[in-house]
Amino acid sequence: MLRITGGKVYDPANGLDGVVKDICIADGRIVETVEGGRTIDATGMIVFPGGVDVHTHVAGGAINFARAMTPEDHRRTMAFIRSQTTRSGIGGMAPTTFATGYLYAGMGWTTLNEAAVPIISAKHTHEELSDVPIVDKCSCVLMANNEIVLDLLEAGEMERAKQIVAWQIWASKAYGVKAVNPGGVAAWKWGKDAKQLHDPIEGYSKLTPGDIVSGLAQIVDELGLPHPLHLHCNNLGAPGNISTTLETMRRLEERRAHMAHLQYHAYGGDDWFTMRSASVPIAEYFNAHPNLTCDAGAVLFGDTVTITADGPWQHLLYKLTGRKWGNLDVENETGCGIVPYTYRPSNLVNAVQWAAGLELLLLIDDPWRVFLSTDHPNGACFWRYPEIIQLLMCADFRRECIARLTPQAKQRITLPELDREYTLYEIATIVSAGPARALGLPQKGQLGVGADADVVIYEEEPDILRMFSHPRYVLKGGEIVIEDGDVRATPQGREFLVKPAYDEAIETYLRPKFEDQYTMSFENYPVEMERLEHPEIRDCIPAE
Amino acid sequence: MGGKVTCTLGEVKNRADFIVYWGGNPAECHPRHFTKYTLMQKSKFLPRGRKDRTMVLVDIRETKSAKASDIFLQIRPGKDFEVLTILRAMVKGQAVNDDLIAETGLTKEQLQDFVDRMKRAKFGVFFFGMGLSMTRGKHMNSAAILTLAAELNAYTKFVAMPMRGHGNVTGADVIMRWTTGYPFGINFNRGYPRYNPGEFSTVDLLVRGDVDAALILGADPGATMPQPAIDHLARVPTIVLDPKVTHTSRIARVHITTAATGISAPGTGYRMDEIPLPLRPALKSPYPTDEEVVRRIHEAVANKPDWIAKNGETVAKQVS
Amino acid sequence: MSTLRLTFKDQPAVPIEAEALSPDALAGLSLDEIRATPIYVGKRRRRIDELFDVEGEPGDQLALHGDLHRVKWLGRGMTRGRLTVHGNAGMHLGSHMKGGEIEVHGNAGDWVGAEMTGGSIRVRGNAGGQIGAAYRGSLAGMRNGLIVIDGSVGLEIGMRMRRGTIVIGGRAKDFAGLQMKGGTIVLLQGAEIRTGAWMVRGTIISLAPLPLLPTFAFAASQNPVFMNLYSRRLAPLGITLPYCASEGSYACYSGDSSVPGKGEILVWQPV
Repeated sequence: MLRITGGKVYDPANGLDGVVKDICIADGRIVETVEGGRTIDATGMIVFPGGVDVHTHVAGGAINFARAMTPEDHRRTMAFIRSQTTRSGIGGMAPTTFATGYLYAGMGWTTLNEAAVPIISAKHTHEELSDVPIVDKCSCVLMANNEIVLDLLEAGEMERAKQIVAWQIWASKAYGVKAVNPGGVAAWKWGKDAKQLHDPIEGYSKLTPGDIVSGLAQIVDELGLPHPLHLHCNNLGAPGNISTTLETMRRLEERRAHMAHLQYHAYGGDDWFTMRSASVPIAEYFNAHPNLTCDAGAVLFGDTVTITADGPWQHLLYKLTGRKWGNLDVENETGCGIVPYTYRPSNLVNAVQWAAGLELLLLIDDPWRVFLSTDHPNGACFWRYPEIIQLLMCADFRRECIARLTPQAKQRITLPELDREYTLYEIATIVSAGPARALGLPQKGQLGVGADADVVIYEEEPDILRMFSHPRYVLKGGEIVIEDGDVRATPQGREFLVKPAYDEAIETYLRPKFEDQYTMSFENYPVEMERLEHPEIRDCIPAE
Repeated sequence: MGGKVTCTLGEVKNRADFIVYWGGNPAECHPRHFTKYTLMQKSKFLPRGRKDRTMVLVDIRETKSAKASDIFLQIRPGKDFEVLTILRAMVKGQAVNDDLIAETGLTKEQLQDFVDRMKRAKFGVFFFGMGLSMTRGKHMNSAAILTLAAELNAYTKFVAMPMRGHGNVTGADVIMRWTTGYPFGINFNRGYPRYNPGEFSTVDLLVRGDVDAALILGADPGATMPQPAIDHLARVPTIVLDPKVTHTSRIARVHITTAATGISAPGTGYRMDEIPLPLRPALKSPYPTDEEVVRRIHEAVANKPDWIAKNGETVAKQVS
Repeated sequence: MSTLRLTFKDQPAVPIEAEALSPDALAGLSLDEIRATPIYVGKRRRRIDELFDVEGEPGDQLALHGDLHRVKWLGRGMTRGRLTVHGNAGMHLGSHMKGGEIEVHGNAGDWVGAEMTGGSIRVRGNAGGQIGAAYRGSLAGMRNGLIVIDGSVGLEIGMRMRRGTIVIGGRAKDFAGLQMKGGTIVLLQGAEIRTGAWMVRGTIISLAPLPLLPTFAFAASQNPVFMNLYSRRLAPLGITLPYCASEGSYACYSGDSSVPGKGEILVWQPV
C-alpha cells in the first residue's frame, strides 16, 4: 500500500490538469484510499501516468540483427554494470533487452508496443520481450506482405482472409496488426518496390497496395481488435510521398487506422534537392478525420541505426550512405533492412525530417490523436524522448535549434512559423493517455480508480530536459522501480495479446498452403502460450 | 562497407533460381539441404523445380556435391578471397590483372560467365561453408562473400547465408546478442559485456592460457581445438555438461551428465537462418537438463557474497 | 625530468587490464595515491602496489620494468608525457592515444595504437596484429600519429586507418592495409599476401617484393617527390627510405578495383 501526497497530478483521461491530489495504491492498482503503508511526499513534484510507447522496435530478429551490426556503438555508449538488482547490458542505438527495460523505466515509461513481428519468428520476439524487465508489453504482427493473405485479397476472398488473419494473430500471440509498405516488401523479394497505391504489385496480377490497406483495415475493424490497423504507408522517406500518404488516408474512408511514424510520410518536392516538409496538408487532412491516430516518428540529430521491414528503402539508404547494410527477407511474410545512419543538421534532407516531425506534433490539434515517438531506433533512440518534450514545450529553445539549420533548409519547413508550446497536460496526453487509448488499454495512461498503478513523479523544475530525463520516482504496478535514478526493483511485466474469434476449420485450408510455401512443420509454427511471461488476453469486440 | 544480406530458407525454396554453394559439401554434410530448400522443391515461382534452378559449386576439390551441380568451379586452395575480390571488381565492370587470375585456378572466361549468370538471376543465393570461413583469411573470406552478395543487389536480388556447423550455435549467437549486444567472444570481467574476437574468443583465450577455469556446454573443444588449447583445458579446472563421454569430458575435472536436448530435454533450436524451432523431447531422461544444472550452479554462486560491491570495488578473494 | 618507476612483481594467472598505467593519468598523483590506484586482474580490482613496486617521482615520465606481455591497455588514451616499457607489453598498447610517446624495449601484443589520433609509438621488438587498426565494426582506424615496429607483425595492420604513418621493420602477415582509407604504411621487408586488400585510399610502400591482388593495376615506375620528404622524416628514427633514381625506382600499382578504390602500392625496385 502506498500514498502519494501533495503532487500536482496531470491525468488527462480523468480531466485532471495539475490538481493537487492524493494518489492511493493497493495491490498494484489505483484505489480510492488506503490506510497505512508508505507515503511519498510529492510536494513540489508533478505526477504523471506512466509513459506508453505506441510504436517502438525493441525485440526480435530485426533489432537483434542491428545489435550484431553495431559493436562500435556498444563500445562508446552507456554500459550497464551488473548489480544486485540489475543485469549487465549495453544501452545505445540498439540496447540489449535488460537495458531496454531499465532505460524505459528510468525515463518513466511503463508500457510499450513492439511494432513489427513476423509470425515465423514470433517465438524469438516473445523470448526477447520476456527479457525486457519492468515494463508491460504488447506487439503487432506483420501482415501486409503475407503471401497467403495477399493471395486471398487478390482473389477477393475477404471472409477467408479475415479467418486467416485471426488465426495468425493468435498463432503469433500478438495484440495488433501491422501493415508495412503494403505489397512493397513482397515486391522487394524480387528487388522491386510498390511505391504507389494503385500500381499492381510485382508477382500479382491485379492486387494493389491500396487493396491491402483497405482490406486489412476492414478485417481489423470487423475482428474488433482493441488497436486499429497499425499502418506504415508505402513510399516511406521519399520526396513527394505526401500524395501516397493522402491517398492512403482517403482509401481508409471511415475505417480506423493508426498511422505509424507519420513524419516519414510527410514530404513534398520532386527529388532530394527539392524535398520539403508537407506537414501542413497532412495535418489538415488528419485534423478533419477522427478515425485516424498517428505517432510522430520524430527525428533528432545524431547517430542511430535504422531498422524497418521496408527492405527497398533500406537498400536505397545503403546506397546513399555507403555504410553497412543488413537485410533479412522472411519467407512468405515480410523482410527487414538495417542501416546505421547519422542525422545531421547541415544535411537538407535531415533538417526537413527533423522539422517535419515537430511540425506534425504542433500542427495536429488534438493531442489525443498524435503521440510522441521516434520510431525507435529509426528517428532517434527512445531514451532521447525528453529532448523532444523540451522542443515541444519551449518555443525559444526550438528557435535556437532552428537557427542552426542552413538558410536553404529554413525555406523548406514550417517550423519557424509555429509558436505553439505544449502544456504539461498536453505532454501527459501525447506520452501516456493518448497512446494508451489508441492501443485500447483502458487501465493504462490514467490514474483513475482501478487503473494500473504505473506512476511517474518528476521534481518540478524549469529545465524541462532534466526534469523529464530524471524522474524522482517511477512506480510500476504500485512498486517503486526507480528512485533517484537507481533501479530499485525489476518486476516482470505482463504481455498483452488478443484471441480474435475464428473458425478452427480454417486450418484445413491453411495447412496445405503452409506446407507448400514454408519450411517448417505446421505444428511448429504457432507460438506456444508458455513462451510468454505473464500473458494477459484482452477482449476483442467484433463489429456487428 | 558491406554488411549482411540474407533471408530465411523458405525464400530460397520459393524463389531462388541461382544457387551457389561455396566451400561446402552439402551432399554429404547437409544431406537434406538440396531436397528441402534449394534444388528439388517446386514453388509458385519455380513450377518446374530443379529445371528452373541453376546450381554452382565452388570448392577446392570435386566432392559429391559437384555431381549435383550444373557448374563446378574448382579453385586453388587458399584463393577464395582472391576470387571473391576479383568477382566484386568484375561485377562493377572494373579492371583486373588478367595475368594473376590464372593463379586462382579459374580462367577469366569462367569468371565472366559466372558474373553474367549472377546478374541475370532473378533471385540468387550464396551458401558458404567452413571451406571458406575457416581457411586462410577466415572472417575476411566471409566478409568477401557477404559483400559480394550485398553489392549484387544493385543489379538483381541476391542473398548470402553461412552453412553453420553442428549443434545450436545459431541459438547461442542469437541469445548472446539480445542479452549482451554481441554474438560471441564476450568478456564480463569489468561487470558489463565487452567484445573482441581474437582477444576474448574461446580458442584464443585457451591457447594463450588467459583463463583459470572453464565451463563447457554443448561443445566438444577437445575434439576440434588446437593442442595448446586442449592442454590448457586439462591444466585448469574444467567442468563439462554433456549427455555423453566426449574428448573434452575425458580431460575435464568434472563431467555432469545431462539429458540430450531435443531427444530427452525440451528447448528451442535456432535454424541456420535464425528461425526458432521448438524442440520436443521424444524420450525421458534420468539426468537433469543443461538448463537445470546451470540454474543450480547459478543459485549456489548467487548465495556467495557478491564480488562487485556497491561502490564498484571487487572482492579480492572469494569466500569459499 | 622526474621519472616514476614501476617494477612488475609476479606474473598472475590471468591477464591484467591497466589503463591507469599512463603518464598523464598518474602525473598529478602522490606516490601513495599511485600505489592505491586500481587496476584489474581478471575480474578483480587490485591496487597498483599489489602488482608493482612503485618508486621514483611522479611526473611526465613513466617507466615500467618487467615482462608485461599479459598487461593490457598500457598508455590507453594518453595525451602527453613519455611511457617506457623495459620488457614486453600486452594488447592494446597506446590504443586511442592522443599524444605523447611510448617506447617498448621488447615485444608488444595485438592492437598497438588502435584508433589512435596522435602521438608516437615505437616497439623495438615484434608486435601482433591489427596495429593502428579500427576495432571491430568501427568505420576508421588510426586517425593520426606514428607507429614504428622494428620487428615483424601480424595480420590486418593499419586496417581502415585514415591518416598517420605505420612503419614495419620486419615482415607483416596477411591483409596489411586492409580497407585502408588514408595514411601511409611502410613495409621495410614486405608482407605476406593480400596487402592493401579493399583499400580505398592511402599509400603502402614496400622495400621488398610483394605478391599483389589481381585487383591492383600497374600504373608506372617512378620516383615520386613525396618519397624524398618521407625519407627525411623517417631518417631521425634510423629508417632509410631510398628515393634517388640512381638507386632504383618504385613500381606503382593502383587499386583495389573491387571497391573501386584509389589507393597506391609502391614497391621498390633497386637498380
